[in-house]
Amino acid sequence: MGGTKHEQSHRRRSRTGKDARITRRTFVAAGSALGVAAAVAPWVITSARAQDKTLRILQWSHFVPAYDTWFDAFAKKWGEENGVQVSVDYINIADLAATTASEISAGSGHHLIELGPEAAQFEPSLIDMADINQEMASKYGKPFGVAERVSYNPVTKKHYAFCHGWTIDPGDYRKSLWEKAGMADGPVTWEDLLTVGAKIKNEQGVQVGIGLSQEIDSNMAARAVLWSFDTSLQDENGTIVLDQGENLKRTVDAVKYMKDLYDKALTPEVFSWNAASNNQALIAGRASYILNSISAYRSAQEARPDIAKDIFFTPALKGPGGTGWGNVHVLYNYVIPTFAGDNADTAKQFIAHLVANYDEAMYQSKLYNSPSFPEAPIASGQRSYAAVAEAKTLNDLTAAWFDNDPFKLEDEADGKLRGLKSAAEWTTNLGHPGYANPAIGEVFSTFVIPNMMANVARGQIAPEEAVKDAAAQIRKVFEAWRNRGLVQGG
Amino acid sequence: MATEVLEEYGTRQRLLNSDRLLAGVLIAPAIIYIVALMGVPFVLSIYYSLSDVTTGGTDAPFVGLANFRALIGDPTFQQTLYNTFLLSGMTLVVVLVLGTIQAELLIRSFRGKWLVRFLILLPWTAPVSLSVIGWLWMFDSIFSPIDWSLREAGLLGHPGALLGPATNLYWLGSGGLPMASIILVNVWRILPLGTVIVLAGLNSIPREVEEQALIDGAGYFRRLFQITLPMMLPIFGIAVLFTFVFTFTDMVLVYILTRGGPANSTHVLTTLAFFTGVQGGSLGQGAAVALFMFPVLTALSAIVLMLIRRREV
Repeated sequence: MGGTKHEQSHRRRSRTGKDARITRRTFVAAGSALGVAAAVAPWVITSARAQDKTLRILQWSHFVPAYDTWFDAFAKKWGEENGVQVSVDYINIADLAATTASEISAGSGHHLIELGPEAAQFEPSLIDMADINQEMASKYGKPFGVAERVSYNPVTKKHYAFCHGWTIDPGDYRKSLWEKAGMADGPVTWEDLLTVGAKIKNEQGVQVGIGLSQEIDSNMAARAVLWSFDTSLQDENGTIVLDQGENLKRTVDAVKYMKDLYDKALTPEVFSWNAASNNQALIAGRASYILNSISAYRSAQEARPDIAKDIFFTPALKGPGGTGWGNVHVLYNYVIPTFAGDNADTAKQFIAHLVANYDEAMYQSKLYNSPSFPEAPIASGQRSYAAVAEAKTLNDLTAAWFDNDPFKLEDEADGKLRGLKSAAEWTTNLGHPGYANPAIGEVFSTFVIPNMMANVARGQIAPEEAVKDAAAQIRKVFEAWRNRGLVQGG
Repeated sequence: MATEVLEEYGTRQRLLNSDRLLAGVLIAPAIIYIVALMGVPFVLSIYYSLSDVTTGGTDAPFVGLANFRALIGDPTFQQTLYNTFLLSGMTLVVVLVLGTIQAELLIRSFRGKWLVRFLILLPWTAPVSLSVIGWLWMFDSIFSPIDWSLREAGLLGHPGALLGPATNLYWLGSGGLPMASIILVNVWRILPLGTVIVLAGLNSIPREVEEQALIDGAGYFRRLFQITLPMMLPIFGIAVLFTFVFTFTDMVLVYILTRGGPANSTHVLTTLAFFTGVQGGSLGQGAAVALFMFPVLTALSAIVLMLIRRREV
């Protein structure tokens, strides 16, 4: 054995174990071992966990917080009864696309993800859910038409999602303000909104609350205006028609209408709004009319009962030709990434269980959720709500609750939600009259349509030019997705 | 057999006692960290920018420079590029001026100096997202406390008011105010760092030089422009570099305040990349937006660092 005296003595001390000092060699050895352990541990832990029967769900924090509390307990109970370890993670709706993108890129994450129309962009990495869609349709009857158009791709013939529910997007107006302006039942047409809305702003100092910003409510409002003016981005076959034939004039008219509305009834605040802003404006008493789900009203019931009692609802407003369309405010698209593997079947079983109990989902969301399968029978067994006489299907239940809102305040008017009973007739999907697809999703996410209108309202560009610019942008997006084989038309 | 065992033992001991191995083990975590968390994603993003990858899958067909070519004629991208330079440039100018003034004040002795230093550094210590949300509330279109103060002071909200009859200024929605608001918050956020850098520079100037100038009868401004500022050029170079890097790589500020609106008028490269690549699904296009300025920034950094080096020599 060689080495210096110091090294020999060092080795001796180490061998006897009497010296507790960290030597260079123990440090190097321990450090290397620790590094290897740290590198290997995640794989060991993951493969150990993978042995369990689990279901990991990711969905957005519901706008009615009580829904999440109910859903948590509902999912866990199902898990206990079926020997599945269920966990549910809730995140902001705006973060869902980014989170899903990162999970798909990583090839691991949640087994069941609740998305909106953006589900289409992830299609190549999602399993085909034709089986569960067909099973539910054969069991509960034809789904609401929108559900099919936001979960099926006619090009690839794939059901990339399962849409279990949707949300109505009515007009929410302040009755007292509209009554004073001579229109107690609120606006019926977009023209009413312009003329009487402007009158309310001038005489009572309260503006209309339609956004022209880079957020989802503005996106939906802009589309509702286009559709009600009998124009659209694409036709049934996915061809861009925004600036084609008669549609060009209609689109230009719709854009001019929004400029008029801005000039006469809105304020510059609408350019800076986020998704919560119109709710806040309504609850703060600073909006006479907004386009939003009933969540704004539900929030007002808690925060400002005086305002809530004054909020009433209108169906989709009608355009110059008498057409009135509203956008699905929110839709609930469950997707199963391909990496879910064996957990896919568990996820589908859970979906079937949720659909079978959708009466509870509707009630716990305070009527925010509407069912995709309205003809499904009401489940038997103990329910969390008072039984509704004569109600046999979800449709019956919805109608009864809209007639007599179980969540209305004590001294609140009856039948305020009655107008929403016809919502399925005037509600449509992104991509109307065609399918929602990844190109429609990208156009939505990059705010092409509200920006087209905002640019004109701000006086930056002429209406005709704005429409042609927007159509060119949309064509570019569609072309890219067509080349990827995911979008129809040409 | 015994000899072989002893030899093997000796080799192992020599290896464990090797300085080179120890150095390697000590530096390895840093190298692994840089390669795994920065190098790999960076190389991947370069490849993505040259491909037609989407968020829907991992297929990334090579498309060459098509993504970059598509950007050049895009008016939104041109506006975004302009905004990014405007934000960086304006922030830089204001931070250098205000940072120098603040540092000049802070280098002097006065009562309560620690408190002033603490307050000036405060914005730097708060998490960016939280402080920007605070500003979002300050700029709220209904409840803005700034607007409330202006209304209370009689400057806003009545006919003939200096700032107009509207109840609010609509900081994030009206005219050029959204971009101005973003610049203001960015300056607020970066000013502490700028001040500290300039302060460090002032402290590094030898006292003898300053004293000699005083003896020679140089006034304040002469000393400032002929001694202090020239000697601080390398330090300003650092401030320039940091401001550009922080502003070019930050997404939180614009994402929280305006999400690029109104009508794409306040997008910066990072937010446009996010909305195009992640929210919109065209990941390759988004990567091209994010990397478009990489060569320019690399060149800028190299030039600044070279100038600093020359100045030091």
